Amino acid sequence: MGTSAEPHSLVLGLLFLSMPAMGSCSDKYPELLGQLQKQADFMQHTNTLLDLYIRSQGLDKNGLKEHCRERPGAFPSKDALQRLSRRVFLRTLDTTLGQVLLRLAALEQDIPKAQDLEMLSGVKLNIRGFKNNIHCMAQLLPGSSETTEPTPTSPGASPSPTPTLDTFQRRLEGCRFLHGYHRFMRSVGQVFREWGKSLSRSRRHSPHQGLLKGARRMQLSGRNKRLMPRVQLAPGSHRGAPGG
Amino acid sequence: VRLSNKVSFCFVLLFISLLTFLSEPLPWAPESLKVSINSTHQCLHLQWSVHNLAYHQELKMVFQIEISRIKTSNVIWVENYSTTVKGNQLLHWSWESQLPLECAKHFIRMRSAVDDATTPEQRFWSNWSSWEEVDVQNSLGHEPLFVFPKDKLVEEGSNVTICYVSRSQQNNISCYLEGVRMQGQQLDPNVSMFNLHNVAFIRETGTNIYCKVDRGDDIKGIVLFVSKILEEPKDFSCETRDFQTLSCTWDPGRDTGLLKQLPQSYTLFESFSGKKTLCKHKGWCNWQVAPESQEMYNFTLTAENYLRKRSVHILFNLTHRVHPMAPFNVLFKDVSVTNATMTWKVHSTGNYYTLLCQVELYGEGKVIQHNVSVKVNGELVLSGLEPDTEYSAQVRCANANHFWKWSEWTRQNFTTVEAAPSEAPDVWRNVKSVQGYCVVTLFWKPLSRLQANGEILFYNIVVEDLDRPSGLQLLSVPAPANRTELTLDQRAYQIHVTANNSVGTSPASVLVVSGDPGDEEVEEERVKGTEDGFSLSWKPQPGNITGYIVEWCDRPRDPLCDLQWKHLGPNTTSTVISSDAFRPGVRYNFRIYGISTEMVPYLLEKKTGYSQELAPSDNPRVVMSNLTSHSFTLSWKDYSTESQPSFIRGYHVYLKSKAGQCHPGSEKAVLSDDSVCCKYKIDDPKQKMFVVGNLQPESFYEFLVTPYSAVGEGPHGAFTKVTTPDEYSPMLIRIILPMIFCILLIMILCYLKSQWMKEKCYPDIPDPYKSSVLSLIKSKENPRLTIMNIKDCVPDTIEVVNKHEGTGKSPTEPEAAKPTYLYLLPAEESYSGPGPCICFENFTYNQAASDSASCGHVPVPTKAPSQLGLLTSSENLLTALEKNCMNSLEEIPAGESSLNYVSQVASPVSGDKSSLPTNPPQPELCSEYKMQMAIPLGLAAPSSSGSSSLSSITLLDEGEHYH
Repeated sequence: MGTSAEPHSLVLGLLFLSMPAMGSCSDKYPELLGQLQKQADFMQHTNTLLDLYIRSQGLDKNGLKEHCRERPGAFPSKDALQRLSRRVFLRTLDTTLGQVLLRLAALEQDIPKAQDLEMLSGVKLNIRGFKNNIHCMAQLLPGSSETTEPTPTSPGASPSPTPTLDTFQRRLEGCRFLHGYHRFMRSVGQVFREWGKSLSRSRRHSPHQGLLKGARRMQLSGRNKRLMPRVQLAPGSHRGAPGG
Repeated sequence: VRLSNKVSFCFVLLFISLLTFLSEPLPWAPESLKVSINSTHQCLHLQWSVHNLAYHQELKMVFQIEISRIKTSNVIWVENYSTTVKGNQLLHWSWESQLPLECAKHFIRMRSAVDDATTPEQRFWSNWSSWEEVDVQNSLGHEPLFVFPKDKLVEEGSNVTICYVSRSQQNNISCYLEGVRMQGQQLDPNVSMFNLHNVAFIRETGTNIYCKVDRGDDIKGIVLFVSKILEEPKDFSCETRDFQTLSCTWDPGRDTGLLKQLPQSYTLFESFSGKKTLCKHKGWCNWQVAPESQEMYNFTLTAENYLRKRSVHILFNLTHRVHPMAPFNVLFKDVSVTNATMTWKVHSTGNYYTLLCQVELYGEGKVIQHNVSVKVNGELVLSGLEPDTEYSAQVRCANANHFWKWSEWTRQNFTTVEAAPSEAPDVWRNVKSVQGYCVVTLFWKPLSRLQANGEILFYNIVVEDLDRPSGLQLLSVPAPANRTELTLDQRAYQIHVTANNSVGTSPASVLVVSGDPGDEEVEEERVKGTEDGFSLSWKPQPGNITGYIVEWCDRPRDPLCDLQWKHLGPNTTSTVISSDAFRPGVRYNFRIYGISTEMVPYLLEKKTGYSQELAPSDNPRVVMSNLTSHSFTLSWKDYSTESQPSFIRGYHVYLKSKAGQCHPGSEKAVLSDDSVCCKYKIDDPKQKMFVVGNLQPESFYEFLVTPYSAVGEGPHGAFTKVTTPDEYSPMLIRIILPMIFCILLIMILCYLKSQWMKEKCYPDIPDPYKSSVLSLIKSKENPRLTIMNIKDCVPDTIEVVNKHEGTGKSPTEPEAAKPTYLYLLPAEESYSGPGPCICFENFTYNQAASDSASCGHVPVPTKAPSQLGLLTSSENLLTALEKNCMNSLEEIPAGESSLNYVSQVASPVSGDKSSLPTNPPQPELCSEYKMQMAIPLGLAAPSSSGSSSLSSITLLDEGEHYH
C-alpha cells in the first residue's frame, strides 16, 4: 500500500513542481484544471497518507480505528466548497492546504521510521505542487488582481492541536485530521470535476474555441480583464462566479 | 532516710521534666511538611524542615515516613530516611508511586529521631506530623473519563499499573491493550486499576492503551513507551596513533527502539585526571592526551538513558596502546639484476620508541617476509631477485616494545633489470624429404620468464654444413615466432639456435640433421594410455647417448598437428607423457629418438595409443555384390581403422532373416530392439570383405556390418535390406531372352518383306506410272493405251455430301449422305485449262452453329442455283476456306477414296494464301467450324496416294463419279 503510492507521489510531485520551477504558469485552462482534478483525486486516497499514519501509530486495532473519524468542522464540507465562488474556493483551498502542511510538519515528530518520513515528505511535496497549480489557476480566472474577496478560514484546520494534549490524544487527533484531509481532497476533486463539466458544456454551446486562450492573453496583457466570458468557464454554475 | 529523700526528689524532678517534654514539641521534630506531585514521573515530593535546630547545629537524624492510599489507615509505604541535618535546612524526599497518583488519594506523615549510632538505645521518635493529603483527582477537570499514567517510559519486562478515573458510576468502561481487553481491579466506584506484568516492546511509537465507555463515543487512552533495555557497551578500547589523541571505540549494542523519547548518551570519564567528556557519537570518542605525559589512563565509559545507566572500564598504559600510522615515502634504489634497496619513513613518535617494521616481497608467485627495527627511517636490501621481474613490496610497522596493532600496509612496486637469457631454447625438428631435398622445420619452445631474463627479441639460427665447415648460414627469426623452415640438400648439417634479448644471447641449442631420416624400419607398438597420460618405455641404447626425445602431436587430426617433444636424459628409459590436449578417442602416435653424441637424432621406437578408447562411432560403408539366390558378398574396403576412436579388433556382421536360423559360423544375437539375428564375427581388422552364404532363394534379409574394439562395437544403425533372387530365374533369363530376340528379329524381317510385297504387288492406290503390269501391257499389247493425265480432267460438277452428324448416325452411312451436285460448267466446251481446286464448307460438321451470322457462315440451300451463286463469290469462298473449316483427311475412308479419281483444279481467284482477306471474322465465334483447305495448284499434281484422300469434298468429272 505504502510502497505503491510512493513512486506515484514522487512522480506527481515532480510533475506539479515543474511549472513553478520554470517560473511560469500554463495558460491552458483545461489542462490546468485537469491537472488539479487528477491531483485532487490522487490525494484523496488514504493510502497516500492516512494508512501510513494509522499503521505507524498502531491505530489499526479494533475499537480504536473506529475513532479515527473526521471531526465535524475541521475541514470545509463539500457543500460549503460548492457554494464558494471560484476565486474564494481557490483561496480557501490554498489556505487549508497551507495549514495541512503545518500540521504535517507537527505529525512528522511522531513518525520515527525513515521510510515513513520519506513518504510523508513526498506527500508534502505533492501538496506544495498542488498549491502552485492553485496559484496558476487563480491567475487564469478573470479579475485575478483586483478581486479582494475575503478568504474564509477553515474552522478546524488549525496547524496543530492543543499542545497540552497527551500523546494518545494527539495521535487520535492526527488520525482524525488526516481522515478529514482526505475527505476534503475528495470534495475538492468533485468541485473541480464540476468545473470541468461546465467547461465542456460551454464548449458545446460556443463555436469559438479559442476564447479562453484569447481571454487569457488579454488578461495577461492587462487591457481588459473582463473580456474573459463567464461562459468559457462555467456559465451559471456558481452564484459567486467572478465578475458576476 | 536522707538518702532516700534525695532519690525521691530526683525522681520527682525527672518525672516533672518528662511531663514537660511530652507536653511540648520535641526539639528536632519535622515541621512545615509540604507535599507536591510530579505526575509525569508519578512522584510525591516531600519538603520539610527540622524544628528548633540551631543554625550552626548539625545533627544526624532519621525520618520515618508513612504513606497511606485512599484512607489513612491503609498504609502502603513506610520508610526511614536518614540524613544529616543542618540548621534551617529544608529537607527533601521523593517517592515514586507504582499506582498513578491521579488514581487515588494519598496521605503522608512523618516523624523524626536523632540517629546517634553510639547510643541507639536512646532513640526517641518525635510525634507524627499530621497527615498530608494528596488528591490529584480534584484537579483533573470535568471530563467524563481519564486514563493514567500519561506517556510513561518503561523498560521492557517492567510491571506497570494503569488506572482510569470515571466521573460517572453508571458508565460501563472497558480498557484495552493494543486492542485486547484488560481485566482490572476496582479501587473505588469510579476508579479501576490494571496491572501489566512484563510489558514487551511493540513498536517505536509506543503501546496504545485505551479505555472507552461501552455506550458512547468517549475514548481516552495513554501511550506506554516501552524501551528495549540499554545494553552495556562492548569491545571498549582506546589507542593512540600520534601520542596526542586517544581514540576510544566500542560497540553500543542493540538500539533501545525509543531514540526520540529516550535518547541515550555516552560519557567518557578518566579517573586519574578526573576529566569527563560527553561523546558526540554513539560508537567512538576522542580524548586529548594530557601534555604532562600521563602514561596511565583509567577510563569509564557510561551509557545512559532515562531509565538505565551502564558502565565499562579500561585501565592501560598509553605506550602499550600505540597504533602506528602507515609508513610513507617507500622508495627503491640501486635496483640491479638481482638486488634492490628499499627505504621508507615512519611518522615520528618522539624518538622514544622503536618500531618493528615488517616487509613483504611479492614476486614470481612467492612471498618473502623481512622484519626490520626502525627508529625513523627504514632500509632493507632485497637480494636474490630474478632479472626483469616485477616485484611488489609492502611495509607496515608496530611498537617494538609493546605490540598493540600493526599499521596499515604501504605498498610499492619495482622491476629488476634485464639480463641475457640463461638457458638455450629447447629445439626440435621435423624432417621431410621433398624432391631430393631435406625440408627441415625447426621448432623451439619460448623461454620461461626465469630463463629469458627479459623480453626475447629474436632467435638466431646458424646452419653449419658439416661436410664444408666453412659454409655457414645465418638466419634471424623475430620473436615470438616458434618455428622456421629450412630447405637443405642431402648432407649433414649442424644447426645452432640461440635466443636474444636486449642484453645478450642465450647459450646455443645444437641439433644435427642428416640427409637420411632413417624412420622407416621401426615397428609400431601399441600403448595404453590413462587419464594421467601415456606411460612410455624403451630399450636402453648401447653406445654414447646424450639423451632421448619423445615426439608426438597434440592434435594428430589437424594438418599442423601441434608437434610436441620432451627431452629426457641419457639414463632415462621411460617417461610419462601427459598433456591437457589429450582427448579420449583420439589416437596419439609417439616417436622415441635417441640423440647421439654428435647430436644426431635417430628413431628408436614408435608407440601408438589412446588416452581412453571409445567405442567405434560409425560403421563402414558396405558395398554388396555377387548377389545370388544363396549368397552375397559384402565389402568395405575404404573403411579406415586408423581414424577410429579405439583399436579396431574386427567386425561383426549381423544378418536378419525371417527364418531366424543361424548357420554354422554364426551365432544368434539379440539386438537392443529385442530383434534376433545371426552374428558373424571377423577377428581380423584387415579383412574387409565377407561372403554371406547359406541363404534361401527369394528370401528377404537384412544385414549390418559394424566394427568392434576392446570397449565395444559400433552403433547398431539401419540394416541394409536385400532379397535373394529366385533359383531358376537366371537360367530362364539365359534361355528366354535370346529366344525373344530371335522372334522379334524374324517379325521385323517379315514385316519389311510384306511392305515390299505390298508396294510391289497390291499398293493401296495403284500408280499407273509405277505399275509394272501397265508398262508390260503398254509395251506388248496396246501401244496406244496411255495413262490419263489429271490435267485433262475438267470438273463440271461438285458433289456436296450432306452428312447429318447430329442425328447420331455415322457419317459414312449411305442413307445419311445425300449428295448434291453443283454444276460448275454450263458447257463443257467453255472450259479450258485446269480448273480450280475448291473446297467447301462441310455443313455436316456445323449444324449447331449454322445460325451464326457473324462467322460469314451461310447455310447451304437445298437448291443448286442458289449454291452456285454463293460459290461464285470468291470472297465468300476464300473466307470460308480461310476459316478452320478443313476436313480431316482421315474422314474419307481409304477404301472409298481409292475408288475415286480426284480431279483437282486451281482456284479461279488465287491459290496464294497471302491474298486472302485480311479481316476474317473472329475465330471465337466460329469454333465449331472446320477449316477446309484450298490446295494450291502446284501441290495438286498427281501423287500416289496422298491426293486420293485429300478431302471429303471431291470434284468429280461429270458422269464419272461413284458413290
